[in-house]
Amino acid sequence: MATTADQFVDNTSDDPGRRAPLVTGGLDYTGVTEKVAGIMEAEKPPKIWYVLFGISSLITLMLGGLILHLLMKGTGVWGNNNPVYWGWPIVNFVFWVGIGHAGTLISAILFLFRQNWRTSINRAAEAMTIFAVVCAGMFPGIHIGRVWVFYWLFPIPTEHLAMWPNFRSPLLWDVFAVSTYATVSLVFWYMGMIPDLATFRDRSRSKIKKFIYGLFSLGWTGSCRHWHRYEAAYMILAALATPLVLSVHTIVSFDFAVSQVPGWHTTIFPPYFVAGAIFSGFAMVITLMVPARKLFKLENLITKRHLENMCKIIVATGMMVGTAYGIEFFIAWYSGNPYEGFAFINRVFGNYAWAYWIMVSCNVIVPQLFWIKWCRTTPWFMVVVCIFVNIGMWFERFVITITSLSRDFVPSSWAYFRPTLVDIGMLIGSFGLFTTLFLLFLRYLPVVAMAEVKSVMPHEHGDHGDHDDHEEKTAADPA
Amino acid sequence: MHKKRREKVTSPVITLGDDGLKLRWIGLVVGVIFIAAAFIVSIPFGGFQRFSHAYLLNFCFYASIALGSLFFVAILYLTRAGWGVTLRRIAEYLAMGLILMLVLLLPIVIPMFLGYDDLYIWNAEGWSKDYAVPVEGSVDMHATEKMEKTKSAFLNSGRFILFNVVYFAIWIAAATFFLKTSLKQDATGAKKISLRNQAISAPFMILFAATLVFASFDWEMTLEPLWFSTMFPVYFFAGSVLGALSMIVLVALMIQRSGRVTAEITIDHYHDMAKLMFAFVFFWGYIAFSQFMLIWYANLPEESFWFEMRFKPEWVGISVLLLFGHVLIPFMGIMARTVRRNKNFLLFASIYLLLMHWIDHWWIVMPSLTRETGAMYFPIVEVLLMIGMGGLFMSSFCYWAGDRPLVPVKDPWLGEALNYENA
Amino acid sequence: MTQSNTEKETRLVGLLAQFDDPDSLMQACESARVDGGYTRMDAFTPFPVHGIDQAIGIKRTILPFIVLFVGLNACLGGIVLQWYTNAASFSPIFPGYDFRISGKPTWSLPANVPVIFEIIVLSSAFAAFFGMLILNKLPRLANPLHRISRFKRVTNDRFFLMIEERDDNFDLEQTRAQLNDWGAVEVEEVNEDMTDRKFPAVIKTALILLLVVLMLPPVLIYRARGMVSRSPRLHVVPDMDWQLKYEAQEIGPTTLEGRKVETEYLFPGQSAAQKQLIGTVSRDEIVGDSELTTGIAKDNTVPNLNAIPTSRYQEPPGGEQKKQENPPEPKWLTKFPESITVNDQLLARGRERFNIYCSVCHGISGEGDGFVNKRAMELALTGKSEWTEVKNLHDPTIVVQPVGKIFDTITHGRATMGPYRDQIDVNDRWAIVAYVKALQELKLTPKPKEDANSGDGKTDGGKKADGKKADGGKKVEPKVTAGKGDAAKKSDPNKKSDPNKKSDSDKKEDKKSDDASKTENGKKEDSADSKKENKSDDG
Repeated sequence: MATTADQFVDNTSDDPGRRAPLVTGGLDYTGVTEKVAGIMEAEKPPKIWYVLFGISSLITLMLGGLILHLLMKGTGVWGNNNPVYWGWPIVNFVFWVGIGHAGTLISAILFLFRQNWRTSINRAAEAMTIFAVVCAGMFPGIHIGRVWVFYWLFPIPTEHLAMWPNFRSPLLWDVFAVSTYATVSLVFWYMGMIPDLATFRDRSRSKIKKFIYGLFSLGWTGSCRHWHRYEAAYMILAALATPLVLSVHTIVSFDFAVSQVPGWHTTIFPPYFVAGAIFSGFAMVITLMVPARKLFKLENLITKRHLENMCKIIVATGMMVGTAYGIEFFIAWYSGNPYEGFAFINRVFGNYAWAYWIMVSCNVIVPQLFWIKWCRTTPWFMVVVCIFVNIGMWFERFVITITSLSRDFVPSSWAYFRPTLVDIGMLIGSFGLFTTLFLLFLRYLPVVAMAEVKSVMPHEHGDHGDHDDHEEKTAADPA
Repeated sequence: MHKKRREKVTSPVITLGDDGLKLRWIGLVVGVIFIAAAFIVSIPFGGFQRFSHAYLLNFCFYASIALGSLFFVAILYLTRAGWGVTLRRIAEYLAMGLILMLVLLLPIVIPMFLGYDDLYIWNAEGWSKDYAVPVEGSVDMHATEKMEKTKSAFLNSGRFILFNVVYFAIWIAAATFFLKTSLKQDATGAKKISLRNQAISAPFMILFAATLVFASFDWEMTLEPLWFSTMFPVYFFAGSVLGALSMIVLVALMIQRSGRVTAEITIDHYHDMAKLMFAFVFFWGYIAFSQFMLIWYANLPEESFWFEMRFKPEWVGISVLLLFGHVLIPFMGIMARTVRRNKNFLLFASIYLLLMHWIDHWWIVMPSLTRETGAMYFPIVEVLLMIGMGGLFMSSFCYWAGDRPLVPVKDPWLGEALNYENA
Repeated sequence: MTQSNTEKETRLVGLLAQFDDPDSLMQACESARVDGGYTRMDAFTPFPVHGIDQAIGIKRTILPFIVLFVGLNACLGGIVLQWYTNAASFSPIFPGYDFRISGKPTWSLPANVPVIFEIIVLSSAFAAFFGMLILNKLPRLANPLHRISRFKRVTNDRFFLMIEERDDNFDLEQTRAQLNDWGAVEVEEVNEDMTDRKFPAVIKTALILLLVVLMLPPVLIYRARGMVSRSPRLHVVPDMDWQLKYEAQEIGPTTLEGRKVETEYLFPGQSAAQKQLIGTVSRDEIVGDSELTTGIAKDNTVPNLNAIPTSRYQEPPGGEQKKQENPPEPKWLTKFPESITVNDQLLARGRERFNIYCSVCHGISGEGDGFVNKRAMELALTGKSEWTEVKNLHDPTIVVQPVGKIFDTITHGRATMGPYRDQIDVNDRWAIVAYVKALQELKLTPKPKEDANSGDGKTDGGKKADGKKADGGKKVEPKVTAGKGDAAKKSDPNKKSDPNKKSDSDKKEDKKSDDASKTENGKKEDSADSKKENKSDDG
């Protein structure tokens, strides 16, 4: 029954009036389960998994060492100095938070828009979100200097401090936004995983696995009364997560935009940051999912059409980001504000012009390749493009943060920021942490949301004729 | 329990027919009478300057609805959406209103071409000298003169007219293209047409974004030539789409009340439109708040004066009204599922949101008329013009709808749309 | 599993029927509800099946309303939290922190919206997730269904319908026949094992152990709170706590926390600072006029002890003693120096500078009620810190001080007040002195009905040379704009109301304290004299 034959149908061609199949290779319900659960059930993962895991965990160890070094020595080990006090840690923070946006976007917004193709990739994207937020939260965490009193950030009544956090400060909004985002994403991810964990529970043979998966699947039986409330809750969480996604990067953009620093204070920052976040997040999903689907033979579940749709979203958000660059430039000139004008001329031709041109070519020019069908249906090629996009988006944060700060209002304090080896090591280390977590996820948790994929497949054996095309996501809509 | 799957349009009446012809003339007469009345009323109350501001306000209101409809058509193609096909034709006819808007643009550009600065004060040289910035001592006068010099490259009538011609050329070409091809498909049912429209919708979106950005700058932002906000185009866009969604729902409800296309547009479609309206209420609120918040927080006099004008005692009520009436009340109001599936309520909601959208534009445009005094006129001229221009807009809709079907009868996605269930 | 014949006790829960595809399950559900009249039944599927809710007759869940309720309360909570912590001026348990920061009002809603929003989302998300679990009665780890091996495929590819024994229409044989009729592939009895319904002891022990371990850190922390420890404080970052540097005015090697830090003298003469080069000019000398820069008359012979820099932390040898002895004071200027002209402009400038530099401690009207002082006193009274109360500038001992002495106090500081000579320009310091004198004067001679004019009168009368200007100006203090409006506007009503309110009592106090000051400052110049001179200076 379960066909694991590696016959990949090209489902990327459009035929108006017919929805392209989202699961190819003749997989049925059983086939889907076996594909996904097979990863966990396999005696050993592919060899390459061990190699990657070894490398990335070593890099993570290095990150741990660097953090210890930082704590013992102080923030002087970074390149941050007057006037660029917000150096790489903040660049990395904004970068990782941005990466963390695609997951919740796929789970929430595409769910609300009934984009059924999201079902195959949402689990991995949500996992990616959480790991990215872990990396993101780390940087401001160690940037506060005295990390052992981090709890001062929260409104905890303390006798000896006798004061409260300042709720009018955008940095405090960040604390609330990022921690809320991490928590809600985790809840969303976990809740989506409960039925699939139950599948793992029912299929696993070893006692330990049975116990652990059984514990975390909370005794799920698939009762339709449970499904009813589950779907209501899922819908509500999606409806909550959508504005939450917007709010998080909006608040990150407020960190910059509420100030009066030229190049930072532009009102378009909120939607522009959100678009950029989605842009980089999708690029990261492709970068991760193309090798992962190859490694675990998920090509029939994560089909070319899924990848193509993501490429289209990358072009669309890339254009939004490009438009925002344009508007910023126009207004910098139109406003007649000499500081604003200088900041933007300085970006293009100034001391960090090289970074600016990397940003523009990676973010605006390279994604244009996705207008060509071949580019957006050839997996290896899109990985190349997406890596460029991620480089570009990292440099966007670099340009915004560092160019504006390095050219202060007072020319006497102008300086050129240079990262130290610790800076560079921590950026690489954060990638190691991210990859380690993601590899563990691939091995031990349901990579694809089986229950959701099954719900968008045509019903089996249902030879009723009037049900063949029934593909809508069957979502209860309480609100 | 399974209903039979429907594949074809089944309603007996799917065109406007003679009623459309009647409405076309009624709209035209109403339009001429009310616009004339507005002009006469404006003579003792504020003069041509007031008339031109009120005119611009209503121009922006209806143009934004037509633009939002054009966006709706394009986004349906772009996302290969099946559910909205039955509503797409209404949006296509509404988008053709852009031809009417091009004609209605003339009373704005002709006085500009002749050198009047009643509406856009930048149209006369030396505006910066007597430009009283409403914040005490915020901008020094030499700076404004310098700015006038810089900005004159952008703020001049020649550029304004040229750009507006380009915008309308692009929009009208797109609207006509989408309507013509869609009508062609009614006859042939060729899938090729859908494929081509889908392909074209993507590059069109880029052009649409670029033109909308500058159109929003031109029409409303340059009313205060010293003010600037990079967020403004997004703000304009959010309002436009909200206005267009409300207008499409309103038109669809009215058409169905008159016994046309009763079977094609179902409560499930309205339910989805209500969800989109809800989303855009939130989106508008988000954009409006972000724009306000960033300017309020940074507190730079060169930007904050725009909000300062709107927080004077005469206008602060309207600002608060927008907060509650445009965001919080509709947000809570359209939240419940039962409400979203109630046609009577949706009729009220669409009219209400259109009114709020109008007040939004009123709030953007009119304070510039009385920037020295900060006063607010009781909006008689404005409302008369709204009714008049609304008549013309309705007339335009009926003209384009004519004897043509109100749903795309052979769209490949029609089957999906007809059987659409919004669980 | 089922072989135990000891005291095996089972209870029938219901009949479980298996189906192979969702559509036949749906039809069976429909039949069971309509034809069989069953109400207590449940369907089990590997994924949510569209339409089965209606087929089996499930009412819409109330979860959305729970979430809405929680969300609205969270909104209220978010508002109250921020208002209480940042804007409330009263302090029931923990005091609020109502400080003005970066020019934002203490209660500024736009800036509070982001946090309110996040609190709403977080609470609602929790309500949705935990509400779902509670309504579903999950987690339920022990379920008789999990003992049925066939049922394991419910999470994979099989569909089940269970009709419960509790149902009124339930009859084992009849129901079984019906289920077979409705297309069930298999029908099976579900039995609940009633033998051992106790909670497994192993898990119980493990949970208790876990709880104990989890409780350890908070208990340890709580214990540490009340303890006095003799061992040295834990130093997380040693090189931040012991820095190899010279403190200001420090002589000799540093000994901190019992750790001797090896230091090398950078320059000869045990000095950490280089000696001044020949020809170095001090800031004060640049101006030239010593009266202007020091506030001391030219023919003075007594050294100004206040000008000798001492570390705040290093009491001069026998310091307490010396202070009480009232050391001889230099000859303070009693008139403003030549180059300072007291007029409206100077007073306005002085007011502006005063509000920026002085009012935070001394208060806007100089009564010592600045918010730094208020806060510090609050902390000092609860024993959290030490603080010397800020002087009320209307205190008789201050009122009698000659202008030169006030100038010197601003320049070099006094007690906990730091020196301001590096921050405030010489002329501005004199402007502040003039303003302080004007403030004091306003209090001493209250004319309730002509407040504004009284100020006018003073300045006009004082300097006839400026008569022309003064005639034109009605306001004694021109509108000050540099303070971003608010501070300046607020100070107006304060100032006006002060003399009105307290004038009577102040007068009495002044008389009393005049006497007191006479005795106190016996060695100083006669207070009456200085007062007279002040008047002739200021008006």
